[in-house]
Amino acid sequence: MVEHAVDVRREIVINADADVVWDVVADAERQAEWFPGMVSSLVIDGTRTIVTAVGGMLIEEILTVDHQARCFEYSITGPVHLDHHRGRITVMEAPGGARVVYEQELEPKALVYVLDAAIGDALDGLRDLVMDGRISRSFAAPDAVPGGRPTEEGA
Amino acid sequence: MGRGILFVTTDQQRYDALGCNGGAIARTPVIDGLAASGIRYERAHPQNVVCMPSRATMLTGQHVRNHGVWMNGVPLPADSPTVAGLLHDAGWRTGLFGKAHFEPLLDPFLRFPENRMGISGETDEGGKAHRGFEHMEFAGHGSAGSNHYGGWLRKNQPEYMGSFFPALGIDLEVNSEGGGDSGAPQVRHNAVARENYHTDWVADRAIDWLQGIGLDDDWFCWLSFPDPHHPWDPPASELHRVPWRDLDLPAGYPELASDREAAIDAKAAHWRHWYDGTLVTNFEAPPRWVPATLTADQVREVNAMAHIQNELIDEALGRVLGVLDADGRGDGTDVVFTTDHGEFQGDHGFLFKGPFHVDSLMRLPLVWRPAPDRTVQPSVVAEPVGLVDLAPTFCRIAGIEVPQWMDGEPLPTSPTEAAVQCRQRVLTEWDSVHPGGAEVHLQTITRDGLVCTRYEPGTCHDGTEGELWDLAEDPLQLVNLWDDPSRRSLRDDLVGDLVGSLPERPGTALALEAPV
Repeated sequence: MVEHAVDVRREIVINADADVVWDVVADAERQAEWFPGMVSSLVIDGTRTIVTAVGGMLIEEILTVDHQARCFEYSITGPVHLDHHRGRITVMEAPGGARVVYEQELEPKALVYVLDAAIGDALDGLRDLVMDGRISRSFAAPDAVPGGRPTEEGA
Repeated sequence: MGRGILFVTTDQQRYDALGCNGGAIARTPVIDGLAASGIRYERAHPQNVVCMPSRATMLTGQHVRNHGVWMNGVPLPADSPTVAGLLHDAGWRTGLFGKAHFEPLLDPFLRFPENRMGISGETDEGGKAHRGFEHMEFAGHGSAGSNHYGGWLRKNQPEYMGSFFPALGIDLEVNSEGGGDSGAPQVRHNAVARENYHTDWVADRAIDWLQGIGLDDDWFCWLSFPDPHHPWDPPASELHRVPWRDLDLPAGYPELASDREAAIDAKAAHWRHWYDGTLVTNFEAPPRWVPATLTADQVREVNAMAHIQNELIDEALGRVLGVLDADGRGDGTDVVFTTDHGEFQGDHGFLFKGPFHVDSLMRLPLVWRPAPDRTVQPSVVAEPVGLVDLAPTFCRIAGIEVPQWMDGEPLPTSPTEAAVQCRQRVLTEWDSVHPGGAEVHLQTITRDGLVCTRYEPGTCHDGTEGELWDLAEDPLQLVNLWDDPSRRSLRDDLVGDLVGSLPERPGTALALEAPV
């Protein structure tokens, strides 16, 4: 098995109980609530379909939901073609609350900088959702969402 | 009647693309006419040879180290001062039509305002001017992307969305596929109608805006054509203009591989690495395309496509100028025409662009046709100038004091004025990192008919390499004089001037947030 290095890594400490944070992360259908630029996330039979704000899609296979280790892993399988992708979100107890580490491995590397910046925003979004109940912004493409475009503050 | 500034840019256009600069293929009578009645600059250089840093320089009048956009994928900070902002604050109407690229284009999560505007169809940022522009309508290099043109095409001509060459592949790398007749990379015969191609669309949007503002308004319009940047996919209906099989090979393309390779080996090491396909240093060219495989026919076909794109731009510009002349605003309108950087188009055996400071990428077309009612004498300026001088020029035209934060100064209108300004040098720099690990850093000074490039330590440079070209003796830049002992003191003087003239690097580099 080929070992892949982590290409992108961001972390945040959220002033909340680790189990509370983990409950949000582990619910794969809630990702669009805290990941800016995602309009919806739907899980069917272990496959998550994300509609992004530009009207595109990400198809992801959910690999791991480990409640014991508080570790969530997934892989982008389409329609963008990546030779390898693995995303990993780990929630740990830490001084000051919960430490959330978001890592990605990918090949080829074209998306490295895009994902690095995006998961930084996403962790901020996760904090805002957990702490204040604020749903992340979504700038949905009109074609992507029946009924029109959600407001900047959420659908 | 109001005063006007029509700022016209193309993307990735060579100096010799225009008839007024010696180009003998594309017919560009409109731009040639502007040059004949205005000022034509023979040695205009960008301060960086890719889009985002260069466009940031045009908008701010700053060197790369001062605006901070050190490579593609680094967004210009939202609070950066801009010449459009100065004009807007002074009461000028401000609009941009076409390609902006002050923020990354590859933005699937819509993190950037320009892409949000492009997707939503809004023409400002929540009711406010964006970077000084009260009205913006964007176009990119095809039907894809978060821009107004893509939305318009989707609504009005959806059946042609797939006719354009997809600039990015399904892996989101620059698409390496070939097409056309010769299999050249990023070439396609596009079925879209000429009037629905982005060149005419950009002109149409600008005309609509110009006709919507008051005749007494002062205005600044950036007409920003996305062509002739790859992909090379102009409307197939126009291919008859330049049959590629009839073209001679460009002078910069040595047809014999041994000649090409000897010239490449005289340059810094990354030239050969890219040519052989053994090192990808940057995102600006298809990573799976190997330049050594480029054929003479592919060079011909790419050149033909670019010439066709240039003719369409010239005609579209002519329509805009015709509207201004018809409503009486032409005499009070300054027109500035240039591009953000050049294109190899076969020179040295390459296509596209990258960390290569030669005339193919650095010598740009630049024409300023002062408003006819100013009665400025036509002129040709050979002294070096830069895109950094554009924003100060717009200030001068508008009667606004050039602010301290601009690095450039107003373009000279004659050789005499260039001498008064002590125009001696122009600077260009490149810094890049690639997630594959490659780093390249180079800086160039052009002075006294010489182009001198120094390399800082990076993936394939140890900091001792350089290139020195004598433009008079060797205009094709085939003989590298860097290691010529007889030029050593001259070389050291140029490097000293280069280091002393560049601004200090900022303490912290701005974050890279996308590949492009």
